[in-house]
Amino acid sequence: MPEVKLIPEKWVDRYGDYLFNFTISRVNDAVIAQDLVSETFLAGLKSAHRFKGNSTERTWLISILKRKIIDHYRKINSNKGKAEVRMSYLSSSDQEGDWMEEQAADLRNPNVEDVIEQRELGQALEECIACLPERYATIFVQKTIDNLETETICKEHNITASNLWVIIHRARVQLMECLNKKWHKNN
Amino acid sequence: MSRFFINCDQASILSTRGQYGDLNPKEAFRHKLHKGHCISCRSFHKNNERFQRALKGLKWVSLTIAQKKSIRKCLSEAMMK
Repeated sequence: MPEVKLIPEKWVDRYGDYLFNFTISRVNDAVIAQDLVSETFLAGLKSAHRFKGNSTERTWLISILKRKIIDHYRKINSNKGKAEVRMSYLSSSDQEGDWMEEQAADLRNPNVEDVIEQRELGQALEECIACLPERYATIFVQKTIDNLETETICKEHNITASNLWVIIHRARVQLMECLNKKWHKNN
Repeated sequence: MSRFFINCDQASILSTRGQYGDLNPKEAFRHKLHKGHCISCRSFHKNNERFQRALKGLKWVSLTIAQKKSIRKCLSEAMMK
């Protein structure tokens, strides 16, 4: 395997959208997602000397991001604990119990299941994209998600249009197989 | 006649290109002709279409230019240190 070198100058363009998508499906807040992506890049920069080149840049950044997301939820949970203690002191108010209704999903809404299913499918797809060879993943994301022109992608990667379609086709076949295993198995 | 007939490898690439609206009428015709007599390519094309529908149904979000700029600024400041 060729040695992988970190190029932090290109991180935002190369992985920004992918990491943002990965994060937003897990935290459901654009501002928090942006902060987490930003923190991930900074953490990556700080620990760049520890990068051994055994994985690709993207895999390495995703592993940092996953830890950031876990930390984010730990933080929220510790704050929630404090809030719940406060709630118990104020429980005599007329609005007792309202907070629960605000937090609970509206199960009468028929779209809730669809939304959850879409989110789970999205997460499964992201995991499958992460398993693709880096070049395949980048080109697939650029064409399918970012909707970039074929010519633009070909220029960036220095490939012909027919090479691009072969790569996209292979990526799609691998993704379909991966989704069949991950997603359809669980449903 | 041979220019109308394609093999399964070519047909599967055309199926994928078709999902992105990249086929010209000739290619679309060749693909349709191939699907007419090839069960496995017909089945692959169906799966390919299903996959495309699933992709379209997903909500993809991307960073705005301003968000990217802000992250880039943070990163370059950190790199300067």
